[in-house]
Amino acid sequence: MNKNGLKLPLRKQILNILSEVLSQGLNYLIILVLGLAIGAVVIWLSDLDPVAAYTSLWKGAFGNVYKTADTLDRSTVLILSGLAAAVAYRTNVFNLGLEGQLYVGGMAAAMVGFLVQGLPSAIHVPLCLLAGVLAGALWTIPVIYFRIKWNIPVMVPTLMLNYIGILLTQYLAVFKFNDPTSGMIGTPKLLDSARLMKFLPGSTINIGFIIAIVMVFVVYWFMFKTRTGYELRIVGFNPSFAAASGMPVNRSIFLAMLISGGLVGLGGATIIMGFFGRFITSFSPGYGWDGMMISLLAQNHPIGVLPASIFYAALANGALTMQSQTGVPQAVVGMVKGSIMFFVTAQLFLNYFRGRMRKWKLTSAE
Amino acid sequence: MEIDLRGIITVSLIAATLRMTTPVLLATMGGIFSSQTGIFHVGLEGLMDIGAFFAVVGSVATGSPWGGLLYAFVACTIASLIFAVIHLELGANEIIVGLALNIFAIGMTKYLLVEILGNAGYYQSPLIKGFSPVDIPIIKDIPILNEILSGHFPLVYIAFLLVIVVYLVLYKTPFGFHLRTVGEKVEAAQAIGISPKRIKYIGLIIAGIFCAMGGTFLSLSYLNLFSENMTAGRGWVALAAINFGLGRPIPGLIACLIFGFADALALRLQQFDLPSQVVLMLPYITTLLVLAAAAIRQETRKRRAGRLKAEQEKAAASA
Repeated sequence: MNKNGLKLPLRKQILNILSEVLSQGLNYLIILVLGLAIGAVVIWLSDLDPVAAYTSLWKGAFGNVYKTADTLDRSTVLILSGLAAAVAYRTNVFNLGLEGQLYVGGMAAAMVGFLVQGLPSAIHVPLCLLAGVLAGALWTIPVIYFRIKWNIPVMVPTLMLNYIGILLTQYLAVFKFNDPTSGMIGTPKLLDSARLMKFLPGSTINIGFIIAIVMVFVVYWFMFKTRTGYELRIVGFNPSFAAASGMPVNRSIFLAMLISGGLVGLGGATIIMGFFGRFITSFSPGYGWDGMMISLLAQNHPIGVLPASIFYAALANGALTMQSQTGVPQAVVGMVKGSIMFFVTAQLFLNYFRGRMRKWKLTSAE
Repeated sequence: MEIDLRGIITVSLIAATLRMTTPVLLATMGGIFSSQTGIFHVGLEGLMDIGAFFAVVGSVATGSPWGGLLYAFVACTIASLIFAVIHLELGANEIIVGLALNIFAIGMTKYLLVEILGNAGYYQSPLIKGFSPVDIPIIKDIPILNEILSGHFPLVYIAFLLVIVVYLVLYKTPFGFHLRTVGEKVEAAQAIGISPKRIKYIGLIIAGIFCAMGGTFLSLSYLNLFSENMTAGRGWVALAAINFGLGRPIPGLIACLIFGFADALALRLQQFDLPSQVVLMLPYITTLLVLAAAAIRQETRKRRAGRLKAEQEKAAASA
C-alpha cells in the first residue's frame, strides 16, 4: 500500500468524527433555538416580553456563583436519574419506574439517616447512600421476575410500582415516622452525621454533586469499557442476535434493571441527605420522569447526560426567577421541554445534517 | 380492625364499579385499534390527560358538556396526528414518541391551566357544565337493577355499548379485517392492496378519539374539575388490559371490570378507618396481579398445546 492508501483511512476517520460532531452540534443548537422560540411565541402571545423573560431565566440559573452552584446542586438528582434511564434504555429495558424507585431510595436513606445513631459521619453517610441504592434496586425485583419468568414487558409493571412505591413512602411518612414539627408531611430530620457536606457557604451545593459526576464516568466506563457493559449494549441493540451469539440476555436485562434502580435510588438518597435533610412526601416534582427525557436528549449516552441534566436544572431554577421577576408562569418551561423532546424524538434535523454531510464528504472526496 | 363485608359489597359498589370501569374501558377500546395495527401505544395516558383538560375548556367555552367532548375530540385528534406523523413519516420509535407525548401532555396542560383557566394545579368552577345522569326508561322502575344499571352518566352507557361496536367492527367488517391483517402480516396486507400506513393512521386517530371520551368522562362527570395527574395511570392500566386480552375487546372488557372493581373498592374502603395510602394501592396491585394471571394462563395454554403436539407425534410415530 502506498502513502496515500495509508493516509486515507485516517483522513476519512477524522472527517467522519468531525462530521458527526458537527451534525450533532448543529442538531442540538437548532433544537434548542426552536424549543426556546416556541416558548417565546407562547410568552409573546400572553402579552409578555420574551427577551426579558429569558434574560431573567438565564440570570436565575447562572447569574452569579451561588446561583450557578444551586443549579448544579439541582442537577445532582437529575444526573443520577438520567444515568439510570440511560443504562436501562441502552439495554432496551424501558424502565418507567424511576419515579417510584427514587422515592423508595430516598425513604430508605432517610430511615437509616434518622434511625441509626452513634455512627461517625464517614460510616453513616455511605451507609445511607447504600440503603438508597439497595432500596431502589430491590424495588425493580418484581418487574425483573415478571419479565424473565413470564416475558411481560417491563413498562406497565414498572409504572404500577411507581404508584405503589410513592404510596408506600407516603404511608411510612404519615403513619410510621411522622414528625409533626416538620411543617410538611415528612419524617424527622436526619442526624447531622448522615448529611452530605456542603462546600460553598451560601449555596445548597454538596458532595452529592461530586458523587453524581463520578457516577457519570463510572457508568461510562462500565457501559463502554467492560465486557458486561458490552453485552448490555448488544442486548439492547439486537436481542435476537445477542441470544444467538450466546450472550446472557436475561442476565443483562436483570443487571440493567438493578443498576437503573440503584442509580436512581442513589439520586433519591443524595437529594434527601443533601438538600432536604428529611424525607418529605412530595420531594420530587418528577425527577424520575425528567431523567428519562434527559437520557433521550443525551441519546442514552452517560457523558451526554451531564450537560443535559445541567440544562434541565438551569431551566427549572431559572424558571422560578423568571416567574417572580417577569410574571411569566414557570409552566412555560414545560412547553419548551416538551417541544425539545418532540424535536429530539423526531431526529428530523440530525438525519438531515447527516445526509448533507454524507453528500459533502462524497463531493470533497472526488 | 373489624370490617363487615356486607357493609362493603353493596349494590352501590357494583354501580361504582361500572362507573370506575368507564374511563379505563374507553382507553382500552381505543388502544385496541392501534394495538391491532401492531403499534404499542404508550401515549394513551397523555391523550386522556389532553382529553380531560380540553373537555373542561370546551365545557366552559360552549356551556355544554357535549361541547367539551367536541373540544376533547379535536385536541386528541391533533395530538394523535402529531404522534402518527412522527412515528409513521419520520420513523421514530413508537415507544419514545409515546413517552414524549405523555410528557408533552403534562407540560402543556400544566401551562394552559395557568394561561387559559388562570389557576395552578387544578381548576374547579361553576362555569364547568358537566354531564347529568340519565335514567334508562324501563330499568329505572325495577328495584336493585335500577340502582346498578340506571342513573349513570351518558358516557358510561356509551363506553359499554362501544365494546359491542368495537367487537363488530373488528371481526365483522372489511375495515376490521384490514386492521387485523396489517397487525399480523404487513406483507399480506400490502399484497391485497391495503396501505398499512393509512390503516395505522386511522387506528391511531380512533385511539385518540376514544381517549378523548375517557378523559372527558374523568373531568366532566361527578366532579366537574380538572386537576394535574387526574388520569392517575389509567392510560397505563388500559395498556395492561389490552395486553391481558391480546388486543381483543371482550377479554379487555373483563380486565377493565376487574380494575374498575378494585378502584371502586378502594374508594369504598377509604370511608373506613384504613390508611388511605394502603387502600389506594389496590388498583395498581390488582393490575400487576392481572398481568401475572394473563401470563400464567398463556403459559399453561402453550404448555398444553406442546403436550398435545408431542402426543400426536407419538401416536403418528407408533402408527
